[in-house]
Amino acid sequence: MTVATVTDSYPSTRWRRFREHFFKGLSVASLIFVIGPSIWLIADVVIRAVPHWRWSVLTTVPVGVGGGLENAILGTLVIMVGVFLIAGTIGVLTGIHFAELQRSRRNGKAGGSFLRTATEVMAGFPSIVLGYVGYVALCVGLHWGFSLLPALIVLSIMVTPYISKSTESALRQVPTNYREGAEALGMSTGYALRKVVIKSALPGIVTGLLIALAIAVGETAPLLYTAGITNNLPSTSLVHQPIAYLTYYVWTDYNQPIKATQYLSFDAALILIVLVLVLLVSSRLLVNRTQRYAEGRH
Amino acid sequence: MRNLLRSLTALALVSSGAIVALSLPASASTKIVTCFKLEKNVVHTKKFHGTCGAGWLRKRPKPKPVSYVSVETPGTAILSETGSTLLYPLWNIWAPAYQTEFPSVSVTTGGTGSGTGIADAASGTVDIGSSDAYLSSTQRTSTPSLLNIPLAISYQIIEYNIPGLTAHLKLNGTLLTQIYTGQITNWNDPAIAAVNPGVTLPNLKIVALHRSDGSGDTFIFSQYLTDSDATWASKYNFGTTISWPTIPNELGENGNGGMVSGCQATAGCIAYVGISYLNSVLSAGDTYAQLENGNGQYEMPTSKAVDLEAAGFTGKTPANGTISMIDGKINGGYPIVNYEYAIVNKNQSSATRAKAIRSLLEWTIDPSYGQSSQYLGQVRFEPLPVKIVTQSYKQIKTIQ
Amino acid sequence: MGDEIASSGVTLPVASDPTRRAFGLRRVGSFLRGSEEGLWRWGARVASLIPLVGLVFVLTVLAIKAWPAIKVNGPGFLTRSTWSPGSTYGAPVRTDGVLHPVGSSYGAWPLIAGTLQTSAIALIVALPISLGTAFALTERLPRWLSRPISFFVEILAGIPSVIIGLWGVLTLGPFLANHVYPFVSNNMPDVPVLRYFKGNVGYGEGLLTSGLVLGLMIVPIIASTARDLFMQVPPLPKEGAEALGMTEAEVARRVTIPWVRSGLIGATVLGLGRALGETIAVAMITGSILGQVSPNVYGTMTTIAATIVSQLDSAATDGTGFAIATLAEAGLVLAVISVVVNVVARVIVNRTSQHLAPVGRG
Repeated sequence: MTVATVTDSYPSTRWRRFREHFFKGLSVASLIFVIGPSIWLIADVVIRAVPHWRWSVLTTVPVGVGGGLENAILGTLVIMVGVFLIAGTIGVLTGIHFAELQRSRRNGKAGGSFLRTATEVMAGFPSIVLGYVGYVALCVGLHWGFSLLPALIVLSIMVTPYISKSTESALRQVPTNYREGAEALGMSTGYALRKVVIKSALPGIVTGLLIALAIAVGETAPLLYTAGITNNLPSTSLVHQPIAYLTYYVWTDYNQPIKATQYLSFDAALILIVLVLVLLVSSRLLVNRTQRYAEGRH
Repeated sequence: MRNLLRSLTALALVSSGAIVALSLPASASTKIVTCFKLEKNVVHTKKFHGTCGAGWLRKRPKPKPVSYVSVETPGTAILSETGSTLLYPLWNIWAPAYQTEFPSVSVTTGGTGSGTGIADAASGTVDIGSSDAYLSSTQRTSTPSLLNIPLAISYQIIEYNIPGLTAHLKLNGTLLTQIYTGQITNWNDPAIAAVNPGVTLPNLKIVALHRSDGSGDTFIFSQYLTDSDATWASKYNFGTTISWPTIPNELGENGNGGMVSGCQATAGCIAYVGISYLNSVLSAGDTYAQLENGNGQYEMPTSKAVDLEAAGFTGKTPANGTISMIDGKINGGYPIVNYEYAIVNKNQSSATRAKAIRSLLEWTIDPSYGQSSQYLGQVRFEPLPVKIVTQSYKQIKTIQ
Repeated sequence: MGDEIASSGVTLPVASDPTRRAFGLRRVGSFLRGSEEGLWRWGARVASLIPLVGLVFVLTVLAIKAWPAIKVNGPGFLTRSTWSPGSTYGAPVRTDGVLHPVGSSYGAWPLIAGTLQTSAIALIVALPISLGTAFALTERLPRWLSRPISFFVEILAGIPSVIIGLWGVLTLGPFLANHVYPFVSNNMPDVPVLRYFKGNVGYGEGLLTSGLVLGLMIVPIIASTARDLFMQVPPLPKEGAEALGMTEAEVARRVTIPWVRSGLIGATVLGLGRALGETIAVAMITGSILGQVSPNVYGTMTTIAATIVSQLDSAATDGTGFAIATLAEAGLVLAVISVVVNVVARVIVNRTSQHLAPVGRG
């Protein structure tokens, strides 16, 4: 009986070893290609902004060609809170709908894939198109002008899919035992949701919210055409009053020949990075704390 | 769970503390006072620490009012202006000065391009749109209540970045057309040398910069090319946005600021830039050209040449301010001169807003205030002649 | 039975609860709890409809605003290369009942080509880097190192695109144009595909730089998802493969990746969608040149999104509204591309996850 020789068709050991080393080298090189430019990027912004940094940037409004960014900082914070309220509510409820309350299809797969597809399609939607539609339909069509409400609506449409996705995945990770136990004890679905399921999924939901806020804070194109710009601090009116935001100054002033204006752009970039870092670090701390809590002292 | 609540509460407290801290007005250590001085019937404003300097008064003196303009006192209003990047540096000087006189009005300025100025003024999203270009007939038909009101006289320079060359090259419309259509690609082209005898031109590729946004500078530049070169007129014409011919070495920039910084970074570049950016051009190490006017003379962009050109058109300027002062057949006149327009809607939503807009515009055209050299001189603009001031004032009074 | 449950220490909302009975709120309580269920159901149902409503609203507004331009520009819009607003200061003319300036002619081919080119470069760059990073994070690095690094990758995802564009145009672009591109351009052999890499390297604004920056932006999206997916692969098949003598590279290629293939495709498409719609960073880096497809890989060009954001204001000066309608048409094209890409991806994901169902994954 002849033994089938495998060595003819199988790659040689030397070739396999080479591939192995190549693969290992590639994965380390990939890390470098990700981390290197990121550090370069953040360091570049810091290097450009810090030498000319004045603390008055945080407390004065733009005056003439220079001045400060107080209007933009407060405006960004106000927009953040608004998006948290609007997109947070809609996104969390949507996530709950997809995770808990949807009637399953007969073959056992999750139902409502049309709605889910629509929601996920909005996740990658080009932001400038949303900004344009907001401008045409809300600012000009409804005569609201550049103001806070069109900006919040457009940003919420952009950001809701991310919140609903993370809420849904957080809810799906809650063990079914919890739900079964709640049902066995006679709780209605809504009550069980409130008292049991959401509480367990809360870290994941809040993490998703904070990440979505970080995305909203960093958007420029939709705000350019819905929020306008102003030198004043945010007012209480939702319509007819434009509002300032940090990304405007980065986009508009980065190539101005007048140095004072250019520095404003770098300062805004630095403040934005700090803001995003605060949001993301908080979300990570939250997850760590509650994981430790859940695994430890429960 | 408790830890989660604690962390969330801490986060909320920190952020609300930050918001509160930032909303508090910054307390000054030494009080800064605004003092005024009346000189040659012009009110000068200056800020001092503590007390006014010699000759300066705390109370704003009233200049003798000129017969043809009077500035109204406005109520409380929040105004927004955007548009021409050529006028933007002047607005940044005018707005704080106006707000010192009338603190009840707050003015936000923006430099987004004349196209945006016209568009936003037409759609009502901004109160005053600035533009170097007057309104087109189509815009007038679609929004008949729009006005274009001349506020100042400005002009445009052609800057270039040729390392080692500081001479002011002579350029004309035909040469510029050939550069922007790609027929001339190098600075040492014989056509350029023919017009500039005695200047050694290096072997350097020309990179032609143009504005990618809707720009009044594009408008007046393309008008100059249209008036002085027949090929450009037939193929490309003029406008705030035109279809630029695709050539191997070109760049699109946003705003006058982008033109200046783009040219600074690109050796061999040529760009059309508003005069208010001359300081930036010079500090970038670049220089500008002499241009051929309608009479075949090559003129430097001096105050005298600009005044001559503007004077030649003053008589022909219609009541609505729509006129092009490009390439006139005026002896000694600089060929690219234009009015800076405020595009405003005649019909305002409220009387207070209308009054504030009128007050601001009247202030800018008043020779004792906005038209004085303490403001215009900083951007090298020229003041409006009396006849134009009167016409602008009439237009302003129709804003209700 | 009530005593047994009560003694376990859990408070229950049942009728035996003395407090509720005492205040006679029992009926109210159960009514509220019943309606709470309905409240949640209906609230969540309404909320879940809102993204759909938003999508339909956006597409409808786009279609309505773009309709005049669609009528006049015709199907040639997708293949023409000129972008000419026409004579906006002259008298407008009427074609097919639509008012527009004389000589206006719009073609979106350079825009579409630019969008596809930058996204292609971004994907080609990002996919191997993301997979390599995900493998490094899950397999190669020790735990104490991989957690901060994966957190760092997530931070990169959150950096605003305008800041990445700022870095790209002020630092990375000039660096590449001065130090990397000339070397590449001079040493490339003159063969059909690689010829694209020869030529005038410009000053850093252009196709390759935008593609690279875009790739950096979508790496975190694909890498984080890939890392999560790789961690979910059960160790049994991998260990079995190693026991059979496969090297790590072969385990990765033949076990891990097929296991998570549908999730990877989903993540890649998510990244692609982000790359197609990215506006601001691309607008800063591409050099905004309308009307031509870049002749080589360094040249200036534009994408649909970058064109809309840089031309929207100047389009508004066209008093006939035709320029804005054309931009709406371009936006509609981009929206349709984005929606189609997303839907196709979901179909692929659903179908492959049906076929796969490997052992051990219930």
